[in-house]
Amino acid sequence: MIYEAISFYALALFLTFFAYKTISATNPIHSALYLVLTMLGLGAVFFSLGAHFIAGVQVIVYAGAVMVLFVMVLMLFDLKSELQAFSKGMLSGFLKVFSAAALAGVAIGVISHSVQVVDGASWGVGDPNADVTKYLSILLYTNYLFAFEVLGVLLLVVAIGAVALSRMKGGTHADRR
Amino acid sequence: MSQLLPVLVLSGFVVVFGAAIIVVASLLGTKAAKSKTKLETYECGLESDMSGSTKVPIKFYLTAILFILFDIEIIFMYPWALSFNDFIRQGYGLYIMGAMGVFLLIFILGLLWEVKSKALEWE
Amino acid sequence: MGSDIFEIGVNFIKMVLIFVMMVQLVPLLVWVERRGSAYIQNRFGPNRVGPLGLTQLLADAVKFLTKEDFMPERGYRFLFLAAPVVALIPAALAFGAIPLSHPIFVEPFEWLGQTWGPYQFDFQSYKIGIGIVFVLAVSSLAAYSLMLAGYASNNKYSLYGALRASAQTISYELAMGLSIVGILLLFNTFDFSEMIRLQSGPLSFHVLGTVYTFDFLPNWGIFYQPLGAILLLAAMFAETNRLPFDLPEAEAELVAGYHTEYGGIKMNMFYIGEYGHMLVASGLMVTFYFGGYTLYPFLTPGTVSSWFAGSTPTMTSVWTSLILHVVFLTKVLLFLWLFIWVRWSLPRFRYDQLMDLGWKTMLPWALGNTIVTAIVIFIMRTSW
Repeated sequence: MIYEAISFYALALFLTFFAYKTISATNPIHSALYLVLTMLGLGAVFFSLGAHFIAGVQVIVYAGAVMVLFVMVLMLFDLKSELQAFSKGMLSGFLKVFSAAALAGVAIGVISHSVQVVDGASWGVGDPNADVTKYLSILLYTNYLFAFEVLGVLLLVVAIGAVALSRMKGGTHADRR
Repeated sequence: MSQLLPVLVLSGFVVVFGAAIIVVASLLGTKAAKSKTKLETYECGLESDMSGSTKVPIKFYLTAILFILFDIEIIFMYPWALSFNDFIRQGYGLYIMGAMGVFLLIFILGLLWEVKSKALEWE
Repeated sequence: MGSDIFEIGVNFIKMVLIFVMMVQLVPLLVWVERRGSAYIQNRFGPNRVGPLGLTQLLADAVKFLTKEDFMPERGYRFLFLAAPVVALIPAALAFGAIPLSHPIFVEPFEWLGQTWGPYQFDFQSYKIGIGIVFVLAVSSLAAYSLMLAGYASNNKYSLYGALRASAQTISYELAMGLSIVGILLLFNTFDFSEMIRLQSGPLSFHVLGTVYTFDFLPNWGIFYQPLGAILLLAAMFAETNRLPFDLPEAEAELVAGYHTEYGGIKMNMFYIGEYGHMLVASGLMVTFYFGGYTLYPFLTPGTVSSWFAGSTPTMTSVWTSLILHVVFLTKVLLFLWLFIWVRWSLPRFRYDQLMDLGWKTMLPWALGNTIVTAIVIFIMRTSW
């Protein structure tokens, strides 16, 4: 049990450090790369909590897909002006601190609430023999079936929206007529 | 946790190994005189006319967005495949087929629309 | 990693050995590739240094290490040096999760005045319950080393190469992920060892409650999922950025792609990453579709351990695992040879053909494969 606690706090320390570097880095690419490390650390935390499948999804979707997109796009742009905009000025510094503080407040609120709401013991959490992944999948396709189908529709709408935006005038796939 | 530790140890080992190789190579490497032309960006001998990070048409952007969306949809098929047999054994085979059928229908609609809208065309 | 110092020590040494095995396979594969391509093209290849040119590998390693350590003036130093190191990680982590042989069971024994054991040592760096998802997750990180290399070189050809490479890798990740769903439906597990166990018996089809068994054939995934196997193999070729999918380094258009500015051992580390991916791809193909370390009628954990009926249980287990490991290696080497063979037989795709193949051909086929598999399994396994 003590090892779990040590590993959790070590991971949490790394996570916080990477998350801090994400907002304090002046170069957007470095910022994005720190965010990748944060996502990987988050995956590791999920893994150490026994939610192996969620950990895998976290890494595949966030570190392996969303952040690839971010890094790719940041690489494409000429970032000289953004570099200066991000590194100078009282306003951007204030914005950084303010947004970080606001998010921290939200996070603390959620945690202090969930301590009362979530009762891990009754879910069989922490039982090493329980096949959490199978349990998760059965829940997903029974109790949460509607949410699952709606998610499919949502993804479809996002796909259509992305393509439609790119085909508008000035977009990357606009008609050249 | 017992499963995570070896992964972290191996990652650490690989990073140390890779860093060590680079350090050793820089120590063993020939120390040749560095000239200005040698340190220039290599573009087959032509003079470099612009910096590496420059504006290029971003057709890649849409591909990456669509990739994320389809990736999420495919990830959701994994737990389905995992529990498929259990549902059948419990006699809910038709139910789980239908549940995924609707999702797949939406998936196929999305894919068809992408193809029709020429979002995936590369000239 | 273990409960006492012996177990931890063995597990750590095992981990290092498996990583070293992956790394040292690279010069060997380079040699096979050069000799093989020479054979295919009716040339000699490297045959001067040592018998069959084998010590060419050693000469190459020394040469790589003593090359001038060079980086372009305008590059970003830290990221430039980090990219080759990052290239090693995904392949090494993914390879560690693939079971290379049957686990070794060690009976309790006396050593240094203490009783040790019993132990079970898995023949892999670590055993992870969600094996497939772990491998997919880790290999989805492979795009970063390419992008880092392209960005840090600050060279437009490197950047274009990196962009192409990452767009290609992510496009084929879809087909790869979807083609595995068929095999998941079949075995209903994410665990590699469990999959191999299910494939170690005779081929038996479940048809509406009756079981048809073919005693002379193994119960391999390829007999149930031939289309899935082909799709996965093709997607793996694209993931490893090898011909006919080596657009990222199309030298006629992009100088040398994302590693234009790299030389010496740093360049070599990208090769280790690439060959490591080939190794992982072959390992996955073997595990999913070709029975892993088992070969049913002749070499299964049961039959092999019966050869050593006279010796102690520990020695039986060790020998069984080693023999089955040879079986696994043989299968993997056949696939690696396929990778090399294809490279020297097929021309390169054009970029639009590549993207069309990934999105408009392989993705729909993989989807169709999933649907048909689900319907067939549903009909066959339901008790009507």
